[in-house]
Amino acid sequence: MAIDVDTTAGSWTKERRKASRKANRKLHRKEYTWAAIFMAAPIVGWLAFLLFPLGFSVYASFTNWNGLGAMSWIGLDNYVRLINDPYFWKALWNTVFYMIGIPIGLTLSLLLALALARRIPGRTFFRTVYYIPVISSLAAIAILWQWAYNGDFGLVNQFLAIFGIDGPNWLMDPTWSKPALIIMAIWKGLGYSTILYLAAVQAVPRSLYEAAALDGANAWQRFRTITLPMVRPVTFFLVVTNIIAGSMIFTEINIMTPTGGPSWSTASLVWYIWNQAFRNLSMGYATSMALVLGILVLIVTVIQFRLNRRNDFSIE
Amino acid sequence: MRKKGMAAAAVTVAGALLLAACSSDGSSGDASEEPDTSGGDAPNELTFMFRGGEYDKLAYETAIAAFEEETGADVTMIITDADQYATKLQAAIAGNQVPDVFYVEPGRIQGYVYANVLADLTEYVDQSVIDNIWDFGVDAYRFDVESGERGQDGDPFYALPKDVGPFGFGYNTVMFEEMGLEAPSPDEPLTFDEFTELAKQLTVDKDGDGELDQWGTGLNVVWNSQAFVWGAGADWISEDQKTVTVDTPEFAEALQWFADLGLVEGVTPSAEQAQTLDTYQRWMAGEIGFFPVAPWDIGTYNQVAADNPDVFGYDVIPYPVANEGDDWATWIGSLGIAVSENSKNKELAAQLATYLSTDLEAQKILAENKVQIPNLIDYATGEWLETDAPAAGWPANTKAFVEIAQEKGRPLPGTWTYTPEWYDNFWVGIESVVDTGDQSAADYVAAKQTEMQMLLDQSWVSADQAKAQG
Repeated sequence: MAIDVDTTAGSWTKERRKASRKANRKLHRKEYTWAAIFMAAPIVGWLAFLLFPLGFSVYASFTNWNGLGAMSWIGLDNYVRLINDPYFWKALWNTVFYMIGIPIGLTLSLLLALALARRIPGRTFFRTVYYIPVISSLAAIAILWQWAYNGDFGLVNQFLAIFGIDGPNWLMDPTWSKPALIIMAIWKGLGYSTILYLAAVQAVPRSLYEAAALDGANAWQRFRTITLPMVRPVTFFLVVTNIIAGSMIFTEINIMTPTGGPSWSTASLVWYIWNQAFRNLSMGYATSMALVLGILVLIVTVIQFRLNRRNDFSIE
Repeated sequence: MRKKGMAAAAVTVAGALLLAACSSDGSSGDASEEPDTSGGDAPNELTFMFRGGEYDKLAYETAIAAFEEETGADVTMIITDADQYATKLQAAIAGNQVPDVFYVEPGRIQGYVYANVLADLTEYVDQSVIDNIWDFGVDAYRFDVESGERGQDGDPFYALPKDVGPFGFGYNTVMFEEMGLEAPSPDEPLTFDEFTELAKQLTVDKDGDGELDQWGTGLNVVWNSQAFVWGAGADWISEDQKTVTVDTPEFAEALQWFADLGLVEGVTPSAEQAQTLDTYQRWMAGEIGFFPVAPWDIGTYNQVAADNPDVFGYDVIPYPVANEGDDWATWIGSLGIAVSENSKNKELAAQLATYLSTDLEAQKILAENKVQIPNLIDYATGEWLETDAPAAGWPANTKAFVEIAQEKGRPLPGTWTYTPEWYDNFWVGIESVVDTGDQSAADYVAAKQTEMQMLLDQSWVSADQAKAQG
């Protein structure tokens, strides 16, 4: 807001300037107050629902706490226990293994998006079909897939039998239990990634393809040098969010393999954390594992951001 | 203007807080939809948090209506999904929003008592009421805070049973008739040898295509091996709950015998076919001779028997034992009804817990709908066993369930200890013994003994710490 101030000399002018400054200050003070109040809302929310729980978790991770009674400070004991706990490492390995599904899922999503971006008949129908798993209940989907993976009667093995393949007993075989869960996770997330990729693919300027075609670029070259770089922001977003979501995999494991799978082959870190917290009453220890997982995810995400910045580009 | 501005700011702050509170991903649930689980404030107000199916709800609505009329109480029922109950209860405890009356599992008693969550019900419930409930139904919730001992008669109890769940054993009556085999005794247990012999006779290729399509049995090791281990005189843990006892010849022999049913004798579906779900389905499809039968299965089994009377019928028998004259045993579960130590209406809440556990009408509804056997000894062993159970379609030898509730039932190992982690550990890697046969039972239990003992010791240390911390 601009305020006209007379700068000519004279006491009257001084008085006027003083009064004006006062009014100005009053007006600003009011604005500052309201600004502070409105800014306080997210800050209070952040303090109450993020910083306080985080600080509480950090403190709890240094205590012996069963989640019910009082805490007692034990220093680094939980972290020492964690380092020496073979089940923590096994669960961490399983969790990392599940990440194999991310590049596979993204590749399939991009291919699907490229297909759906073409003017093929029934593409709206297909877009809807691929998106249905995204909006379906994960618990319901897990139960359905549990049946589909049934060694004898499951749809998956019946399908494989058409090609003469004797399918494994997916969820009861330590070798196949993790791939089984990965396949399900890819299927569940395909629609979401596809929709984002579809939007990105459709936003690529046609002129770039036309120019490349004029220069003699073939379809593969156009895809590699135009489409892929142009959808990189979406890829980056999906990789980061999928890694975060993948590190929290729990529901499907708890439903499909409630004891952690054969030879503990499906137990994820969050599943183990949940068990320690709520079944074994080791909330302090569970919190320390949760913090380590959080830090690992943070490190991976920071690396992702760094790499992405290095590869950043813009169209002139 | 000023007032409007303040109102706008207040709405914004409230909205932001609400959004922040609900901004977690969908999997963790919407916090704004959580029911208020805190106990009632007014002298006659109570909250009751529980999980269960439609018949549980029906039975409790009936019982609570009668209770409200009788006492003038105002009871609010909070029902949750079974798989989320334990987590929600723990969250309610952590948030100091404990309901007045709620379900509790026997394995949780120690932790909850140390944390001052559960009220000691001993002084609120008449001895005559206790005397008419199965011993296990009350012992499951007994706990001596000083010694840390569980299940000892005479110790204070912190819940009354919602139910007791005897995990029985059964056989396919139609299959036995078809095969011309003599039905097993409803009273005397088979020996392991007799059981194996019968299972071999039941395992046949009925349609002559070269592949087996009927088996003697098909048992999941995690849920079914306890009875066989106990039937051989072995156990997972010593009586004082301080020593793991899996590394004994009796234990190893029983486990090996169990594994050999499939690996050597070939009387179970192959490892690939042996998911619990599969054997359960095969049992109901009339392809398996012996299989567990528990009260919560009765409704389903009756329906299957009515739909396919040519292939499926069943009855209950004792679990096999290693040698003639040995005592048979099986596990029995329970769910308790507890009262919050901090309830403002503790006495009324204890009255409600007693009512829910022992109200005859509620018990009749639950038993008639095949949800559970009655908690009341006089009713269960009298009118129910003689007339009500047969009329409702309970199996001919239902008295086997009563026998389990009376004396043959034991809690699952791990129930009496502060945490069950040591017991859960036993099953990690069991496939190498029962499915692939890569490891002998003797080697397996020898390898497990040390790790399980370490976890059990840790459980006791945790219990002592919880006791000290309060």
